[in-house]
Amino acid sequence: MFNTIDTTKVYTPEQVADLLQLSKNTVYELISRGEIMAKKIGKLYRIPSTSLSFFFTGLDYDLYQADIEDKKPLPVVQEAINQVRAT
Amino acid sequence: MRVFLDSDVVISSLLSNKGAAYILFHTPEITRFISTISFNELRVVCKRLDIQSGLLETLIQKKCSKVIIHEQSVKSTFLKFVSDPNDAHIVAGAAAAKATHLISYNLKHFKKNKIKDDLDMLLMTPAMFLQYLRSN
Repeated sequence: MFNTIDTTKVYTPEQVADLLQLSKNTVYELISRGEIMAKKIGKLYRIPSTSLSFFFTGLDYDLYQADIEDKKPLPVVQEAINQVRAT
Repeated sequence: MRVFLDSDVVISSLLSNKGAAYILFHTPEITRFISTISFNELRVVCKRLDIQSGLLETLIQKKCSKVIIHEQSVKSTFLKFVSDPNDAHIVAGAAAAKATHLISYNLKHFKKNKIKDDLDMLLMTPAMFLQYLRSN
């Protein structure tokens, strides 16, 4: 299970097919439908890990980032709330 | 769509304008609720975290409705939905608001399945709820 996304990583369609347990043809179909964003370099596709955010985290990449943003100060926030609730 | 917000979501929206809680507060197609008990709690938490109380007041006034709940009814009816009794007022508020969703960052403290079965209410984080909106 992926907890974080390495934004510098790119995948081949074959690797994505393997990761998502799909056929290579399905991955190419998803690329052509725009459901997976990919860059064509010459004749080859490369897929940035951010395009796969939903598959890894259940969240689109922008929402994944927004979630991370909120979670940074969360321990302090929840500690303060717990203290107030306990009084 | 009626959503009830736990206090950690309200505080998160005050701390960052890039987070999911902030986006949730600025999503037009939903009606947001807190309770009178959670509002009092939020005032104290803001003070402890050095958040200007005016920011909280303005946010709630502009973006949220308050449901009135009483301590007595919270303890008698809603303890069964939480693992920490101090969180029971959040479920009580959500039930009073007739919310379809309870939004919290503290999912572990709530009995998700019991809330779903007995109150017909889904428990989610802000980002999960925003993703849900996108897929419907």
